[in-house]
Amino acid sequence: MNNTNMWKIGLIVLVIGSSILMLYPPDKKINLGLDLKGGMHLVLEVQADKAIEIQTEQSIEQLKTLLKESSIKYESVRRLGTNKIEIYGISLDNERMVKDILDDEFKDYEYVFAGTQTTLTLIPNVEMRMRDLSIDQAIETIRNRVDEFGVSNAAIQKIGLGGGDKILVQLPGVDDPGRVKGLIKNTAMLEFRAVVSGPFSTEEDAIKDQGGILPDGMKVFKTNPRRMDKGYYVLKSSTVISGKDLKSAKRGQDSYGAPAVSFTLNSQGASKIRKFSSANIGKRMAVVLDERIETAPTINDVLSYDNIITGSYTIEEVNDMALVLRSGALPAPLKYLEERTIGPSLGADSIRKGIYASIIGLILVMVFMLFFYRGAGINSVIALIFNLIILMGVMAYFEATLTVPGIAGIILTIGMSVDANVLVFEKIKEDLRAGKAPRSAIDSGFKKAFVTVFDANLTTIIAAVFLFQFGTGPIQGFSVTLMIGIIASMFTAIFVSRVIFDLVYSGKRKIKKISI
Amino acid sequence: MRIFKKDPDFKFMNKRWIAFGISGLVMIAGIFTFYTKGFNLGVDFTGGTMVEVSFRENFSVGELRSSLQDIGLGKSQITRVGKDENKFFIKTIQSLEKNESQEEGMDISRHEEITIMMRKQFMTEEEELHISAGKIDLNNSSLKKITDFIASGNISLDDAVESAGKIDLLKKGTSTGLIPGFENIESLGLKKRVMTLLREKTYFGNFTFLSVDFVGSQVGYKLRQQTTLATIWALMGMLVYIGFRFRLIFGLAAVITLAHDIFIALSFILFFNVEFSLSVVAAILTIVGYSLNDTIVIFDRVRDNLKGMRRNNAEDILDKSVNQTLSRTIVTSGTTLATVLSLFFLGGEVIHAFSFTLIVGVITGTYSSIFQSCAWLKIWEKQFLGKKIK
Repeated sequence: MNNTNMWKIGLIVLVIGSSILMLYPPDKKINLGLDLKGGMHLVLEVQADKAIEIQTEQSIEQLKTLLKESSIKYESVRRLGTNKIEIYGISLDNERMVKDILDDEFKDYEYVFAGTQTTLTLIPNVEMRMRDLSIDQAIETIRNRVDEFGVSNAAIQKIGLGGGDKILVQLPGVDDPGRVKGLIKNTAMLEFRAVVSGPFSTEEDAIKDQGGILPDGMKVFKTNPRRMDKGYYVLKSSTVISGKDLKSAKRGQDSYGAPAVSFTLNSQGASKIRKFSSANIGKRMAVVLDERIETAPTINDVLSYDNIITGSYTIEEVNDMALVLRSGALPAPLKYLEERTIGPSLGADSIRKGIYASIIGLILVMVFMLFFYRGAGINSVIALIFNLIILMGVMAYFEATLTVPGIAGIILTIGMSVDANVLVFEKIKEDLRAGKAPRSAIDSGFKKAFVTVFDANLTTIIAAVFLFQFGTGPIQGFSVTLMIGIIASMFTAIFVSRVIFDLVYSGKRKIKKISI
Repeated sequence: MRIFKKDPDFKFMNKRWIAFGISGLVMIAGIFTFYTKGFNLGVDFTGGTMVEVSFRENFSVGELRSSLQDIGLGKSQITRVGKDENKFFIKTIQSLEKNESQEEGMDISRHEEITIMMRKQFMTEEEELHISAGKIDLNNSSLKKITDFIASGNISLDDAVESAGKIDLLKKGTSTGLIPGFENIESLGLKKRVMTLLREKTYFGNFTFLSVDFVGSQVGYKLRQQTTLATIWALMGMLVYIGFRFRLIFGLAAVITLAHDIFIALSFILFFNVEFSLSVVAAILTIVGYSLNDTIVIFDRVRDNLKGMRRNNAEDILDKSVNQTLSRTIVTSGTTLATVLSLFFLGGEVIHAFSFTLIVGVITGTYSSIFQSCAWLKIWEKQFLGKKIK
């Protein structure tokens, strides 16, 4: 045995060893899916009323702006209930102009004029559609979050017909159910607002500072005590930027190296914050998340695309916050109605059958290879077992969730991965028939087959990368397994199998015959 | 061992029009089936009814499944609630046997029909006797129904409301939602006349539906859109890579072959009315990977032969390449098919649709890499023989 073989064997031992290490103990390292082990059954209610309320508030802001632009005087514009807007104190002379504005810009509302008081009501059909939309949006957001957290194989469905406002989330057993539940529920409404004054120790003090009555366009906000000193600020009620202006968010660090949320704005958001910050240098701006102030820094410079939010965050908090910001805000708050543990969706019998069929499939492949390729077949069986160990080890590392179709998929990957062995063996046989000496046949067989295997596998990997990049949930999980399977099979069928050949035939000076 | 005694020398390219014809016919039949019958979409896609049912007796998920099988609901997703309780969530597909409307959402009559069928199926003979004797099931009746029933027995409405309310409260207080027997309502302090009426005219069923709900599709519009988009990007990516490593027409031929495989697999899913679920989507993607591998292996040989052979006859080069790789193609298809067949025959109902799709896929993938991928190179003979290859 020479030195080259030594390091090659060392590498193989290292790879297999670390795979086994990642796998051990298997019952802790391998997550079983809903079908095999069961998990959590959560029913959430979307508080769609709140979504309507938010929509109404936005319409009010828009209406005020439009009235101001047309210099129509009014006493007040306020929200009544969830879906009504009341405009008060418009002189009769302006009625025509107000009607025009409402006809043009507020098609979703029906309006009634009664003297100086005008009431807008959201058209019931429109409201219905908005409610539906807010549930669909919530489902989409929850799916994004669950996917990003790495829980594959979760079932997320709407409960009820049409007007239903409940969502069913079934998650396979996760290590930290509390954290996942928090992630799902996090509304993640991010807003940047200008600070008028603060901090104050009580809400009353804050209002007193504004002369006892809060002027139109201002609002008092509480700080998040986990991030900064407890207190109250008076902020502008119009936002500088909101979650919609966000492009991406990730974990970053501040200039002292402490964890911070780093985020990038889209071009619209960047231009808004640039305009605002250049006009307000030296003043303060508050970062509001879910109606609580996370931080209220002084603007020192003109802000643009990339920004960070600092505060006393832990790494886990930063990760979670970046995740929820990335996955988008929920259109309305959620409430947990039910939380239950559920058993596996497959009976013991179905599970046994699935696993049994997979093992038989595996044995069939092995028997065939031994029968067809004799000595070389042993080689490929060893490669195949190594492949399985590596595949399982890496899947454990990525915390992939195992389901019955998943097991079948793994077995199939294995069945397909002998292809690389077959290619090499067939090539060697071809060269032997052409009269090449055994050793050079092995050499050229591996060399030529490598190009083929490389091209075929790299093409598949490219496809898998695209599926991963553009796909969601189940598709992403599938592409990860596919990639791991391909890389593992390249390693075992090309590298490991070659080393075995070398070891078997290295002692002899002249090989007369290869068992293949 | 060898599969062929002599090196094989089949004239595959000769038959290309026959192959195109067969594939074309299958696809046309597939399109026809799509418009006449459509896909048999699974609960992942259509949504359906979800009930929570509580049993007095001990059942396993398997037993419950075989019971549901009798009424054509064997493919429902059944999960036990908690660990030792005899409560189950049953998610059923939208439709039973007939599958006429494939519109999203579910019509109410179907929804009711499913629960009525389940009720009938879960009923014991003893309960059927009770029913034919005109008795009502206290465990399985709503508060309103019980109130109306008591009131109809010559008892004042106030008493009826009070008694029914107490029974309902007792029912809700149990962990199972089931009242075992009359002993349990003795202590409620109901009026004597009410008790007599109940003993005479009611009984306690063996199961109850704790909730009945519609559940929506698991595959939203966005997921569908994204999956389609991802597949298109993946095909584009392959086209570019193969174009770079081989030549553009190789990439084109490979992508057409893959699209062919997807269409054929979908056609067979339609012909055999296989339930289309998320795992079937995964199976189709697996097929794409498998067939791609097959195609590239042959193309690799074509690339080799293009260098070594006189480049005047495309048909010769292509036939030779397919023949040279034929034993490898057969061995690999054989091993893969063996695993897939074992999954199909031994894997049970749950992975039936998945493994069926894979069987079709493996066969189609093998067939298409032999008869389709190279045939497309033959069609573009000029470009194929054109430039020198690296």
